[in-house]
Amino acid sequence: MKKTLIDFFKIKGFSLQKFIFESLKTIMAILIAYLIAIIIILFVSDNPSESIYWFIIGPFSNIMEFGELIKKAVPLMFAGIAACVIVKANQFNLFTEGAFYIGGLAAALIAIYIKLPAVLAVIAALVGGGIVAALFGYIPSKLKSSLNVNEFVSSIMLNFIVLWIGVYLISNVVIDEVSGDTATKIIPEISKLKVLISGTNITYGLLIVIGIIILVKIFFSRTLPGYEIKMTGDNQRFAKFSGINVERRVVMAQVLGIFIAGVGGAAEILSNYHRFNWKTLPGFGFDGFMVTIIAKNKPLFVPLAALFIGYLRAGADLMAFNSDVAQEVVAIIQGVIILLIASERFFSSSFFKRLLDNYKERRNHKRMDVMKNE
Amino acid sequence: MKDIRKVYYPDIVAIKSATFSLLEGEIHAIAGENGAGKTTLMKVLFGLEKPDKGEIFFKGEKTSIHSPTDAMRRGIGMVHQHFMLLDNMTVADNIVLGMEPKKHGLYDYIKACDLTEELGKRFDMAIDPRLKISQLTVGMKQKVEIMKVLAREAKIIILDEPTAVLTPQETKELFHQLKLLKKDNFTIIIITHKLREIKEICDRVTIMKSGSIIDTFDVDKISVEEISKRMVGYDFDLSNEKSKLRPGEIILDVNNVSLEVDGKKRLDNISFSIRERQVLGVVGVEGNGQKELSDVLNGEINSFTGDIYIDGVSLKGMKVLDIRDRGIAYIPEDRMKDGANLNGNIFESAIALKSKDKAYRKGMFLKVKKLDDFTGDLIDDYGVKCNSKYDIVKSLSGGNIQKIVSAREIFEAKRILIANQPTRGIDIGAVMTLHEKIKKLQSEDKGILLISSDLKEIYDLAESVIVLYEGKIVARIDDIKEVSEEQLGRYMLGIDKMQEEAVL
Repeated sequence: MKKTLIDFFKIKGFSLQKFIFESLKTIMAILIAYLIAIIIILFVSDNPSESIYWFIIGPFSNIMEFGELIKKAVPLMFAGIAACVIVKANQFNLFTEGAFYIGGLAAALIAIYIKLPAVLAVIAALVGGGIVAALFGYIPSKLKSSLNVNEFVSSIMLNFIVLWIGVYLISNVVIDEVSGDTATKIIPEISKLKVLISGTNITYGLLIVIGIIILVKIFFSRTLPGYEIKMTGDNQRFAKFSGINVERRVVMAQVLGIFIAGVGGAAEILSNYHRFNWKTLPGFGFDGFMVTIIAKNKPLFVPLAALFIGYLRAGADLMAFNSDVAQEVVAIIQGVIILLIASERFFSSSFFKRLLDNYKERRNHKRMDVMKNE
Repeated sequence: MKDIRKVYYPDIVAIKSATFSLLEGEIHAIAGENGAGKTTLMKVLFGLEKPDKGEIFFKGEKTSIHSPTDAMRRGIGMVHQHFMLLDNMTVADNIVLGMEPKKHGLYDYIKACDLTEELGKRFDMAIDPRLKISQLTVGMKQKVEIMKVLAREAKIIILDEPTAVLTPQETKELFHQLKLLKKDNFTIIIITHKLREIKEICDRVTIMKSGSIIDTFDVDKISVEEISKRMVGYDFDLSNEKSKLRPGEIILDVNNVSLEVDGKKRLDNISFSIRERQVLGVVGVEGNGQKELSDVLNGEINSFTGDIYIDGVSLKGMKVLDIRDRGIAYIPEDRMKDGANLNGNIFESAIALKSKDKAYRKGMFLKVKKLDDFTGDLIDDYGVKCNSKYDIVKSLSGGNIQKIVSAREIFEAKRILIANQPTRGIDIGAVMTLHEKIKKLQSEDKGILLISSDLKEIYDLAESVIVLYEGKIVARIDDIKEVSEEQLGRYMLGIDKMQEEAVL
């Protein structure tokens, strides 16, 4: 008998039915969220049709805008997959936020002050950004595993420490007086991530993050440390009982996730900035946790979730730019949509189950009718 | 109940088709293997699960029971296998939970206590309503559960595996009370796979097998052998002979081990040794040091005094993995928390130990195909009932989870297997499989420490036995055959003690 793709998945514990339910659930949530958004726009806009056009169709209106969507999604993918690794170990280390910042700064400094040949310069900046972030990230994770200090709190505090170290550096030590801004010198062209698709702002960062996502997927499904991290996250008592070094795995997951976030910050700076001039936290780290929640913490769903948030943001930006809907209202709409989609339990699965059961019953009746007629 | 069908989502059929009836004032046993659907069927009756098909007739009237509240209203109550009591509250609090007596709109605790005492008197279950649940023994907790159901004026009481955790004496007491209830015209359903109990107190027995009801019999008219044959579908010898094996070298040597937790002595000067080809039984009422003993042996707790040697090497200060590397394997008491990853799939729980084996990986990469085959073998070998290796562990029945955990550990027992309640709550067929495997281990020169509250299991497998009471060894028996079950029970409850010199 010929094996279909679905048969193949079935062997691996894949249930098509369940998959359809889950997707239906998410799609319904998105539809309802957009409905609410449209209602809000109808209230506040004098020209709602145009506002809605920019909000929903805008990101697809031309290749440039579509590129903008992808550009917005890339750092979300980095942050999402970073958070995914951390959440797999059932940890909530929010230093991914600080990691984006410090990773970006470290990458800029490496690019500016260390002279290397072409490809090497890019790699050094990216990896260097990741390593610097990971070194900082080791602090809250080690505190958690050794002294049981809540990583949630300590990582948030560390974010601010890192931010102010960075602001101090760019306003006193590595400041470029010529720029007229508190910012570093110009990042040399040789170290920057080149544009991947001409006519857009999509850079090689996209390929890098997709590569990382695939590696993470392999890490969790094919390697011993990945397996042990997952077991530790799912059931720590079981992990300990089977001889897994739980403390080490908890630290490893956090450091790994933060390394990825650091690379993400580096890629963001090397793709889209001439100088490093961030004076606030970029917010990607927090977004990452949202992305991974929407992606149900599955690495391969992270790009989809990130693309969706990217689409939402690109549309919101276009609407704010091209219509009379105030920036604040746009932010509210974004919040509502994300809230609805992230609340997994908004639709009880029993509701959909009943829907499908009804459908099945009707189909069976129909079949029987057909048989009778024959 | 007529023609009940329950399909668990997405496609695990728990009950194919079940029709059974209940007469007023009888004690009715539901017997069957694990995953036969006994508990599910009762959950349908109690309104916890909705049947996908079928009807329920109550006193001749067609009814549907949507929720436990619904069931309660009709006078159906259920005592679950795992007690559902609030540990930090008192007996009275628990009994009136959800139907608290009120005085001026506030909770009237005194009245709750009175109510509890009154109930206790009426049904001959003396218990102090002011005690906290956490202070009670397992047997007393069960009483509270039953009283909870009685307080809600149930006329039909469902008990899920009521004797799994009780000592022989406690079981006797429970049966006495059940008989009293029967006299009062209560109807009782007992889910069980202990055949002796069915014989002892039940009027009728309904046998289930893989989701279907085989038949209902009058207990007087059917023999124990007959019941077990119908349950499992094949004959087996209930009185199987223990293999006579000569013990060899000492593998595990426990010397004067004591353990104090929060100022309380949990283990008090414990010494024993296990030799090759020896099964040492540890019995005792739960909470008398068994848990601590196995925690000390597997490296979970390091703060003990005294010493433990395996093959002459001290275990002191060793981590879980180090000890496992020395060839000790454990079947944990709490299979749900320690033994398996409920949210993961079978594969993940099965490979927990093999994944560390160098033969099953290349550097840090797992040989997924080989591990996959291992999981398949394990499932076939122990007859785990599942749709595929990738079923979520949570969706399996307790017995099947136990099989996976036990199988994994038995595979890894290079020197010693420490089995803590290895067959609790699983059916005869599965028990037989596990006992066979344990005996096979024994014949392969391995030592086994069997901690069990099922005395039949101890009699079946162990030759020598130690009895724990309040962390102390109160009796040391070289040949279990010479000691009666009643005498063992007296040791367990601390009524009798052996002379000091006999114990040490």
